[in-house]
Amino acid sequence: MGEPLLEIRDLAKRFATRAGGEASPWVIRDLSFAVADGEFLTIIGPSGAGKTTLLNMIAQIDAATAGEVRFGSETAPIGDPKALRPGLACRIGYVTQDDHLLPWRTTLQNVLFPLSVQGRLNAETRARAEMLIRTVGLNGFEHHYPHELSGGMRKRAALIRTLVYDPPVILMDEPFGALDAQTRTQLQADLLRLWNLGRKTIIFVTHDIGEAIALGDRTLVLSRPPSRVAGEHAITIPRPREVRDIMSHPDFAPLYQRIRAQVQ
Amino acid sequence: MTAQNGTVDDARDDAAAWSGRCAVVLGRLALAALLLVAWKIGAGVAGTLYVADPIAVVQRIVADTLSGELIRHTLATLRLSAIGFALGCGFGIAVPFALRRLPRLTAAVEPYIMASVGIPKYALVPLFILWFGIDDAPKLWLIGLLVFYVVFIAVFAGIRSVPRGLIDMARVAGAGEAAIAREVIWNSLLPFFFAALKIALPRAVSAAIIAEFLVGNEGLGYLIESSRQNFDTTGVFAGIAVATALVLAINGVLSLIDRRVNAWRPVDRHMVV
Repeated sequence: MGEPLLEIRDLAKRFATRAGGEASPWVIRDLSFAVADGEFLTIIGPSGAGKTTLLNMIAQIDAATAGEVRFGSETAPIGDPKALRPGLACRIGYVTQDDHLLPWRTTLQNVLFPLSVQGRLNAETRARAEMLIRTVGLNGFEHHYPHELSGGMRKRAALIRTLVYDPPVILMDEPFGALDAQTRTQLQADLLRLWNLGRKTIIFVTHDIGEAIALGDRTLVLSRPPSRVAGEHAITIPRPREVRDIMSHPDFAPLYQRIRAQVQ
Repeated sequence: MTAQNGTVDDARDDAAAWSGRCAVVLGRLALAALLLVAWKIGAGVAGTLYVADPIAVVQRIVADTLSGELIRHTLATLRLSAIGFALGCGFGIAVPFALRRLPRLTAAVEPYIMASVGIPKYALVPLFILWFGIDDAPKLWLIGLLVFYVVFIAVFAGIRSVPRGLIDMARVAGAGEAAIAREVIWNSLLPFFFAALKIALPRAVSAAIIAEFLVGNEGLGYLIESSRQNFDTTGVFAGIAVATALVLAINGVLSLIDRRVNAWRPVDRHMVV
């Protein structure tokens, strides 16, 4: 592993002082980790551990209070929201917890949205969008509006909306959190299949230990706030993995135990 | 009513809805007939100096239409309303979009703008005449201002109500400020905008008519007022009937546009005015 693609060093975040004048507490403090190119990193932590805040800072839609967020040779502005560059010129994709599909656009139009605003809509990228729609089984629903889709379909649409413009890094914030177990397993398998096609760098936040193990090359455990890295685990289960049967792998149970011991 | 699966239930619902709609339409027609009869009786009781006879009103409308008089006045009102509306609406959209980029300025001017909403615009007409003469200008100021405030408040509130997450998503996906304004914000606030139009368009016509009462020598307002001065109550009623028909026609067109533009919206959403 050479120079990390993404490096977080001594990151700290607290939100603006509330109206009462009382300083708001640190959400994240002294958080450091690095991500290699092509790595699938999963991050797990208790709720309120600032996982979403962390991703927001990496995606540059929120500014850190202190520390460093470095992508390649570029560092994110600290404490200055106006200087942020959301998505770093389309190099960091972000699949948020809510799907944030545009309700007035159909599935296909939503998937094409990034391409159209980036001015990259052509026959080739259109074909790619259609390929992705088929890959995640949304064919037949291209012309449906988001409110006509099921929760799982909306997640798929949001996922491929990010994949379609091929950003080298993709952040995912509990994208499958609100789904039933069946759909979730299916989507995890879809995601691994898609990842195998392109081997993006993925930072995947979850509160589900099983999901963190099933998907990741490495899992970071965050502490309660102010969050730091409480533990780091290499996931030794070989790829390609079968998400459905992941629990029967002999490495799964010990990893699960060790991670759970750290997630408080 | 959901329209996702074509099932037996849907077919039964459709049949029930159809007969329900028929009943509503029949009820409406009956009510219209009742109102006309009441009008006719009222005219008989009060005397045609106060309440014009409906049949005479219809005859007058037909006669004035054939002579071209009525069309000339209607077009004058329509032209005035359209120009005033376009001006008020244009600024009503442009100003909030400009203010969006200037949060400090917005914070500074917002109380003044909101306070100026309270100024009764019709009370300003004498001033407009003083400042802008007796041509179209004072009328356009009145119509424009009335439309402006309605549209401005709706668009301003609409911009603030755009979910933050949608804007962040669009930014991360590479959308510039212009694309965000056009694609995310504009589409998000369309329902607000159409709600505003449903108030602003009839208001534009009303304002045009009132302005014509006061200034000028053409338009439905002029027709109504000059008929009154000649004790021609039938003419007054004819003018009112045509003005009402004009507003209803405008609302009909607006509803059609709304239905097309906002077809994506999930719930039954068409406010009937």
